[in-house]
Amino acid sequence: MSRLAEAKRRLRQQSEHYLLVDSARRLGKGAPGTVKPYRGRDGLAWRLLFVPLYRRVPWAVKRTAMDKLHMTASGWTPPPREPGTPWRPPAPPTRPPEG
Amino acid sequence: MTERLIVIGGGGAGTAAATIAKRLNPDMTVTLFTEFPDIAYSPCGIPFVHGREIDKFESLFLSTVERYVEDGLDMRMETTVTDIDLDRGTVTARNTHEGFDKLVVCTGFVWEKPDVPGSNLAGLHYVKDIRAAMAFDKTLDDMKRVVVLGATPLGVEMAGALGHRGLAVDFVDEGPWALSEVLDPDVAEPVHESLTKRGVTLRFGTSLEGFVEGADGRVRAVATSKGELECDAVVVCLHKMPSAALAEAAGVKTGTTGGIMVDERMRTNKPGVWAAGDVVEVPHGLSMLPIRGLTGSHAYGQGRVAAFNAAGQDLVYDPVWIPWGMVAGDYTIGGFSIGETLATAMGVPYVVAKGVGVSRARYFPGATRTHVKLLAEPDTRKIIGAQIHGGEGVKERSDFLAFAAKRGATLDDLAWMENIYSPPIGALFEPIAIAAQNGLSELRERERATA
Repeated sequence: MSRLAEAKRRLRQQSEHYLLVDSARRLGKGAPGTVKPYRGRDGLAWRLLFVPLYRRVPWAVKRTAMDKLHMTASGWTPPPREPGTPWRPPAPPTRPPEG
Repeated sequence: MTERLIVIGGGGAGTAAATIAKRLNPDMTVTLFTEFPDIAYSPCGIPFVHGREIDKFESLFLSTVERYVEDGLDMRMETTVTDIDLDRGTVTARNTHEGFDKLVVCTGFVWEKPDVPGSNLAGLHYVKDIRAAMAFDKTLDDMKRVVVLGATPLGVEMAGALGHRGLAVDFVDEGPWALSEVLDPDVAEPVHESLTKRGVTLRFGTSLEGFVEGADGRVRAVATSKGELECDAVVVCLHKMPSAALAEAAGVKTGTTGGIMVDERMRTNKPGVWAAGDVVEVPHGLSMLPIRGLTGSHAYGQGRVAAFNAAGQDLVYDPVWIPWGMVAGDYTIGGFSIGETLATAMGVPYVVAKGVGVSRARYFPGATRTHVKLLAEPDTRKIIGAQIHGGEGVKERSDFLAFAAKRGATLDDLAWMENIYSPPIGALFEPIAIAAQNGLSELRERERATA
């Protein structure tokens, strides 16, 4: 595996972990039956720099950045309607002229 | 010359790929290699045999090796493929080379192993192989206390099952509630209550530090950030890791999740090589980000697509919207795509629409409350995720919503959907429609307030 591929894998793994911990901490506050998630001493840079920065960037910009970094799937037909596009009924099939 | 297809792996994807390819192209020689002695059983049923909700392991078998041989497959049981040579078109197993024209890689997954002292001790059990499960089950009768590590879907099932069997279970996870990577906190409480009723002690927000060896060389206790937990065995239920090393060594590309990268025809970057199941990554329909470690039905579907294309036909697999559902203790939970926790983590904008209905006419015996939470895009109101919990109908609603989202349904579509009203099976008001109507009312209120 190339260094770039390894770096992308690590970026994905670490960012997912710290974003999820942050999200659970925010949403779980005051929810019955929940506790604080475990927080170790590792990952200071992820917690204090990456997570707050990521949260400030709009989703559309993040999506574009993920595309540019080739972190989204290629070789696949995207869903018929991208997020943000209003739904329209499919066009009726065209019929050949009669007669 | 007869075309030769080799399938590596005998799980859901591998058996689907081999049997369907043979059916589509009977002239093709299809050989299936698996390292295990058994095939065509449901590993997902194992926790429920441990919990004695299913009487015996034999009930989990769906077919036999002989049946596949009768269907014309060349079955190589207990035969581990150790090398793939794509230039020569051979695989190596038991020091002999076997030629192929086409290859489908379905090597599945292994469970993540904890990176702490003592992780090689005897007494740590991973739920996967049915024979190992049978052997573990026999030892359970002599045990009193078990630690289940990891509040993943399997962890929740195992904790609930072992509690149901009468064992004292310590359920350990770093997260703040059960299934915190999937489930939202407002759904956690009934799940926790149900598990606790089965004798499970919840130890969330607790980190694993190591496994403590006893005088007999087996695990005696689990060391955690909140002290030691004495136990007779540990069931490790962390994340699924793709078994992609064999394919990767042959030059097949893997992606950001560690899974094999495939296109919508399950083709890898190498000509004549397809892959399917837990070893591949496929895109999520909302974000197009690759994900992996899905369900048995996803594995079967991907194996089917690989089979069609390897047999010379043309079939594509869609990005996934992941309907999911399970019984946590005695409580049914489910949903599709993402919940609030994941949407917040990803930074996806969303509005929430919540509603509670009943599964049958309210006066009909056995009616249960069904809670529905929908997530929708704020601007288009297109649904992007849901969480459902209660009694009956969680699975069907989750399946339906995943399909509706795939086709671009909005809150407006769901608010006035048609539904069955028949007292024994459905109430007048559909819980999904109630949630969507509530969501739309809230959006109108917000618009009025900001106007």
